[in-house]
Amino acid sequence: MAQPTVAAPDLAARFPEMVTPDTRKGYSGYIVKAEALLDFAKALKEEFGYDYLSSVTGVDYLPQGLMEVVYHAYKITGGPPLVFKVQVPRDNPVVPSVTSIWPGANFQEREAWDLLGIRFEGHPNLKRILLWEGFWGHPLRKDWREPYYEGEHKPFKSRTAGPHFWHEDHNPFGKNVDYPPGFDPYTWEPETADQILYESVIQRTRKPEQEELHSEQVVVNLGPQHPSTHGVFRMIATLDGETVVALEPVMGYLHRNHEKIGERNTWIMNIPYTDRLDYITAMSNNFGYVLAVEKLMGLEPPERAQYLRVIMAELTRIVNHLWAIGFLLNDLGAFFTPALYAIEERELILDVFEAASGSRMMNNYMRFGGVVRDIPEDAWDMLVKLVHDRLPRKIDELDRFLTHNELIKSRTQGVGVLTPEQAIALSTSGPVLRASGVPYDVRRAEPYGIYDRFDFDVAVRYHGDVYDRYLIRLDEARQSLRILQQAVRDIPERGAPILAGKPQYQVRVPAGEAYGRVEGPKGELGFYVVSTGKANPWRYHVRAPSFINLTALEAMSIGNKVADLVVILGSIDIVLGEVDR
Amino acid sequence: MLWQYVPIAILLVLSTALAVLIVLLDALLGPRKPTFRKLSPYESGMVPIGPGMRRQPVRFYLIAMLFLLFDVEVIFLLPWAVTFRKLGLFGLVEMLVFIAILLVGYIYAWKKGALEWE
Amino acid sequence: MDTTLLLEWTIKAVILIFILLTGFAYLTLMERKVLARIQVRLGPNRAGPYGLLQPVADGIKLLFKESIIPAKADKVIFVLAPLITVIPALVINAVLPWGRTVTVFGRQVSLYVANINVALLYVMAIASIAVYGVTLAGWSSNNKYALLGGLRSAAQMISYELALGLSLLGPVLLAGSLSLVDIVEAQRRMWYIVYQPLAAVIFFITSVAELNRAPFDLPEAEQELTAGYHTEYSGMKFALFYMAEYVKMITVSALFAVLFLGGYLGPFESQYPWLGPIYLVLKILVGLYVLIWLRATLPRFRYDQLMRLGWKVLFPLALLNVVVTAVIVVLMG
Repeated sequence: MAQPTVAAPDLAARFPEMVTPDTRKGYSGYIVKAEALLDFAKALKEEFGYDYLSSVTGVDYLPQGLMEVVYHAYKITGGPPLVFKVQVPRDNPVVPSVTSIWPGANFQEREAWDLLGIRFEGHPNLKRILLWEGFWGHPLRKDWREPYYEGEHKPFKSRTAGPHFWHEDHNPFGKNVDYPPGFDPYTWEPETADQILYESVIQRTRKPEQEELHSEQVVVNLGPQHPSTHGVFRMIATLDGETVVALEPVMGYLHRNHEKIGERNTWIMNIPYTDRLDYITAMSNNFGYVLAVEKLMGLEPPERAQYLRVIMAELTRIVNHLWAIGFLLNDLGAFFTPALYAIEERELILDVFEAASGSRMMNNYMRFGGVVRDIPEDAWDMLVKLVHDRLPRKIDELDRFLTHNELIKSRTQGVGVLTPEQAIALSTSGPVLRASGVPYDVRRAEPYGIYDRFDFDVAVRYHGDVYDRYLIRLDEARQSLRILQQAVRDIPERGAPILAGKPQYQVRVPAGEAYGRVEGPKGELGFYVVSTGKANPWRYHVRAPSFINLTALEAMSIGNKVADLVVILGSIDIVLGEVDR
Repeated sequence: MLWQYVPIAILLVLSTALAVLIVLLDALLGPRKPTFRKLSPYESGMVPIGPGMRRQPVRFYLIAMLFLLFDVEVIFLLPWAVTFRKLGLFGLVEMLVFIAILLVGYIYAWKKGALEWE
Repeated sequence: MDTTLLLEWTIKAVILIFILLTGFAYLTLMERKVLARIQVRLGPNRAGPYGLLQPVADGIKLLFKESIIPAKADKVIFVLAPLITVIPALVINAVLPWGRTVTVFGRQVSLYVANINVALLYVMAIASIAVYGVTLAGWSSNNKYALLGGLRSAAQMISYELALGLSLLGPVLLAGSLSLVDIVEAQRRMWYIVYQPLAAVIFFITSVAELNRAPFDLPEAEQELTAGYHTEYSGMKFALFYMAEYVKMITVSALFAVLFLGGYLGPFESQYPWLGPIYLVLKILVGLYVLIWLRATLPRFRYDQLMRLGWKVLFPLALLNVVVTAVIVVLMG
């Protein structure tokens, strides 16, 4: 696919001196001076209608001594992105925060501060988000080295050439970690980091004066070791009785610096690595990543591969939505029955995945310019039966069992409401955004692959509550079935090529940047990659929908009961592998 | 006729003995390796702030008060129900008056919002 | 009073406890099996044939588990709380009539531990004690989840006790007695579920709430409060709470059968009194199945909804039922 061209307005003329087109080879968009960023952003949002800030991230250009912040803004009515960048010196990277204009930048700016050390002035709560408060350094910087550092790029010399050795021997334990000055790990009291976290919660919630007779506000941890936070997610809730008055999401317990590892990997090594992001939707993750890299390489997959990709991506969507609905019901207190009914169907789809890719969850199925293998004949028959018969039936069954249940309705209707304005402003995406009445679907707004050929509706619901977020997943599963039925009908005959060019172990990616985004089951999954023409990506950033949708969690939760908290979280549908990366 | 209650007393003694025995066995048979972390209160794996015992919303107290009021009245209805056939119409009218008074209190509590859980 | 009578009572008490404990053990297995079948699974099938030894394995495991008492807990109350919960759950069954009188070794033996004339009052009184156990467990654990769970539980139990008490009045009005034996015998002509359908429904709903079972299992709402009032309990002390819950399930099913389904009555029961216990067990099993079925299919209420249902729907309905029943009884003479 061709790189989307820059939007029509001539922003360089609108802001002379301050805004210049990005003329580096392979790059697009504008470079904005830091001091003009807020004016520029305001104009973009208010005059040009770029009201949806999808992605904010940073890139460390070590050789140039620059730290660059990259923004991708969209119109909520659809169309290509407007990319703009702010370049600041590497030794003192300070950029004004755009949270006042796009509140959805909140977590992403915190992430950029956490991992790259870019300070965002005017950010309401600029703390580390993925790493813990006591962490020293900003690991995504190119000159930051981890304990047991082996080399800049894989494959590491110590493992491939010459006499093999344990890297630990060269870098013994105890000498392998840098501590902040004056820090002694043996006398350090680990409660401090929690204290920092709690202080901010307590300060934000404490009322200035309290009446004589009052019930105390209780600060309760829900998570990380909690049955219903979908993994090691943690919410610090301040409760007045049972009502939530403040909420602080804390994440990063599963953080493994996916992006740093991704930058050490070669391009092709990252494909299986994306499986581990949202491990429920591995196929979709593959899709997003290969799309981004194909944009750089200028590759176009053959017809049959395109169809296979769509089939896999839509099956993944059904898998994910079944899973999400099942576990949402679990959060409502239904004892696993809906979840297990949903998982029964999921298993059948995973059978197809297994037949095609060899693995049920970590599929590693797509390649640059195609897919790795064709679906075997018998699995294909299975798939056709699933798509035409069993899945529609079972989705209707789930609908019949759940949708009109009085208890479910009374627990979910009007709970955790997110207005359309909030949903757009907070950069939510996927079912969360569409359940709030915003019909924004990347498959329609900026079609990728061959999605422009299919006849389907963008599911949309209007109340923005948990019930609608449940219903929309059923709607989307049904739309996915429509797409699947068309794809199964129209796919070119077996034997047609499924990979452009021949299989490669090492790919050459021209220098430049690319942003590939797909409508993942959980929302807009974007991959921002920067190549310098080497075997490894210079920058590999994941715009994780689960992570960014969590920005809206606090807005949804305040004023609801503590029992609703887990339901609201369940309705966002997060997977910690993707949130924490 | 208190002798009717002797079997209940026997059952009570036996159940208590059984329950105490179970707790004792538990203390005897189980291993005992306390650590600081193991003995700290569970709050999703984090160190809780503030004590676990603390003031709670006044709602709970209100519910307890209401319960006391109405439960006494329910208990009062029981002997009435037993002797109801002997009392006949007189008993019915008396009880209707009683329930009417009870209803007034109930409606008052409802109107005052004592039954809301907000 | 003679020693044989004392011996008979003791033996009956031992047998009752034995039945309840065995019932508890196999009820856990039944629950897991039924849940599994409903959820397209197999359930426990490794310990013994059809998993029949599973309860034994569970019991032994729990017996040898470390039993932790949290450092900041109120230790005395912490240990007492499970006892306070489990003892009433056992004792309450004393008044359950399992059948009429049968002849064992030439001796007339009545199939209940005690037949007291205020049996229903006794049931209500003893059932209320369980609230203490749960509340104290929550309080003494020094844990936020446990405290909230304990308080929720207390408020929930006392709120539903009102409607529960009122729903009992229907059968009492009809039978003119508080004795469970009399109530059963009064149903020779027709089960009370026919005359008192509303009372039966209210009794069932409120007793599910008293049991803290789904969909009213808020006190131990796993999703937000991890395990509610017994979060800090482990080993056999945890098992005692578990035991109390399951024994109470049996009690509630039995009470429902006694009050509304004719207890031990059934075809040919008058000729062969030993059929009585069998009929009662069958009726109890139906009740237990419904309880498990509810757990497998329904999500949970939220707290405010639960209180609204109890105070604003069930309580007035139960009151209405009492008034209507009384008026009809008077009109019918």
